[in-house]
Amino acid sequence: MQTYAKPKSIKENSSFTFCSGCDHGLAIKLVAQVIDELNIQRDTIAVSSSGCSVFLYDFLDVDCVEAPHGRACAVATGVKRAHRAKGNNKIVFTYQGDGDFASIGLGESIHSALRGENITAICINNTNYGMTGGQLGPTTPMGQITATSPLGRNKEYHGFPIQTVQHIAICEGTCFCARVALYDIKNIYNAKKQIKKAFEYQQKGLGFSFVEILSSCPTNWKLSPIDSHKKIEEELTKIYPLGVYKDIDHE
Amino acid sequence: MAHIEINSNLCKSCYLCINACPFGLIKKSAETGKTGEYTVEFYDKEKKCTACASCAMSCPDIAITGVFK
Amino acid sequence: MTERELLKGNIAIAKASLIAGCECYFGYPITPQTEIGEYLSLEMQKRHLAYVCAESEIGAINMALGASAAGAKVMVSSSSCAVALMQETISYACADELPFVLVNVMRAGPGQGYIYPSQGDYNQATVGGGNGDYHTIVLSPSTVQECADLTYRAFYLSQKYRNPAIILADGLLGQMSESAVIKEYPYEEIDNSDWILNGASDRLSRNIHSLEPSQLKLNEHNVNLKRKYTLIENQEPMYEEYFCEDAEIIITAFGSMARYTKEVVNHYREKGIKLGLFRPITLYPFPYQQLRKLSYSAKLFVDIEMNLGQMLKDVQLSALSNVQTAFIGKPTGDWLKKEEITGVIDNLLKDKNANIR
Repeated sequence: MQTYAKPKSIKENSSFTFCSGCDHGLAIKLVAQVIDELNIQRDTIAVSSSGCSVFLYDFLDVDCVEAPHGRACAVATGVKRAHRAKGNNKIVFTYQGDGDFASIGLGESIHSALRGENITAICINNTNYGMTGGQLGPTTPMGQITATSPLGRNKEYHGFPIQTVQHIAICEGTCFCARVALYDIKNIYNAKKQIKKAFEYQQKGLGFSFVEILSSCPTNWKLSPIDSHKKIEEELTKIYPLGVYKDIDHE
Repeated sequence: MAHIEINSNLCKSCYLCINACPFGLIKKSAETGKTGEYTVEFYDKEKKCTACASCAMSCPDIAITGVFK
Repeated sequence: MTERELLKGNIAIAKASLIAGCECYFGYPITPQTEIGEYLSLEMQKRHLAYVCAESEIGAINMALGASAAGAKVMVSSSSCAVALMQETISYACADELPFVLVNVMRAGPGQGYIYPSQGDYNQATVGGGNGDYHTIVLSPSTVQECADLTYRAFYLSQKYRNPAIILADGLLGQMSESAVIKEYPYEEIDNSDWILNGASDRLSRNIHSLEPSQLKLNEHNVNLKRKYTLIENQEPMYEEYFCEDAEIIITAFGSMARYTKEVVNHYREKGIKLGLFRPITLYPFPYQQLRKLSYSAKLFVDIEMNLGQMLKDVQLSALSNVQTAFIGKPTGDWLKKEEITGVIDNLLKDKNANIR
């Protein structure tokens, strides 16, 4: 008996183009598993973004449209609303990095949450701009050395990072939001559970659902994949605590 | 017999699966893969594998393509 | 539906968009086009269509991108400095071959400028402010009737060529009322079922993107787009000629400015001076060939715009070397009056008296 198989919603013969040990692969796989389990592959439209997340459509076997940098939630709003106007109920989700979701696209993200836009947003938070070589981003923690904060992030020079999921949680249109990590098997299963919930809430039409995934960037952190996961467990989860930040079913 | 299938062509030698296996059944192989590093192999002489799929779930490259009980 | 009404240009555009089958409108308020969004806010809701008061013009145009990918007929309206904000996504939409209609009811610039009418966005619309080799179809109404009729044409052409189409109106036209008829949508519906994203239920999954890491494919994509633009340039130029057949002097003007220049033409014709008006209706594709034909018989082109000479370069490109070109314009405020224009043309006539009659 087979207890695990490659998700159906991952394209045949595709191979991830991410660096060794990058959590993007894990995150996309979990999304694919959720799409399979909910049997929504044929009703799902993904919105990809700029950054390492950009090649989503090469891996995921669902309809996909690319958004300009930061605008994924606005594009997803258009896709969802257009289908609703046509009487179709489609599942629409964005897959974005933290720079895309919480820096250049923060306006679009927050306002989609405030409108209670019935879409799901997945945000990969790896604390830097990975694709361009690891520069300071909106989630870079204080003290972290990056390509553009060579002496470490400090408040006088760079200001403070954003607590993305908490900001989304206070938006009234948000029905569900959580921060998860992928550094061990327990957290991987938990991440999948929360991603699934986010999609299920969209199916029920409850509003904006959001999952922030604390992810590794071994190449730019200059750590091995295993040490990167250790860093997430020991350091990043202290700065960015995991958990469900809003769940309207429990209120 | 529980076992896993590894597609070495997809393995990027991150070794997260080695870390994930509760029984230590995955180790570096003698072969090098696409990154120039050693890929991994499944080694279960004592039939300890329970097909829990922790290794496959942890693999960021879907290089562990199947787990069987 | 076919009764004559007294309508503002903005309302004519809004009404026509509904008849054209617009399913989604996304907007953000900016004078002088706000009536379009206000009118549609109730009408779209009544019809259970999509209407979003977007967080910004950037949000609005990207919603349009998404809705277009989903296969809907989409319209966004805005004005000058806010259309400037949308340039990135217009470039994406051209690259992605996603159709939508963008209405720009021009105000004065540069920068914030003011809400006075102007024609200062000719370059922004026809040349574009986004990156890469792309073009948007640009239609320029001159009457309230054309506001409606060209809204239909904008929907049709954008769908037909899978490319954004801009309706380039101005504050004067948007705000003034005149009698017009909102007719029936005269064009065939374009089948988009072979490219839209509606879930891969009985087909392979599709993706729409402009990103292309392969040099070969990216070049090929650009060449294919260019081929499409060439087709548009050959097939779609629209223009109006007013007393052009024997004209020795041709006034060129577009949009609201053109209607004022008709008075000027009448003024000179009464005096027996052979003067005509050539009005491009499509600013992209610009009717170069048609204007060039007039330069066989004409000696002077006088370009008149409510800006400091943006269409002028296209007029000059159309003119054969035997034709002189002159420009009359002002950037904003009260529209150029007949006397201001005839004053300049009278002087030109004196100078040219030897060879222009």
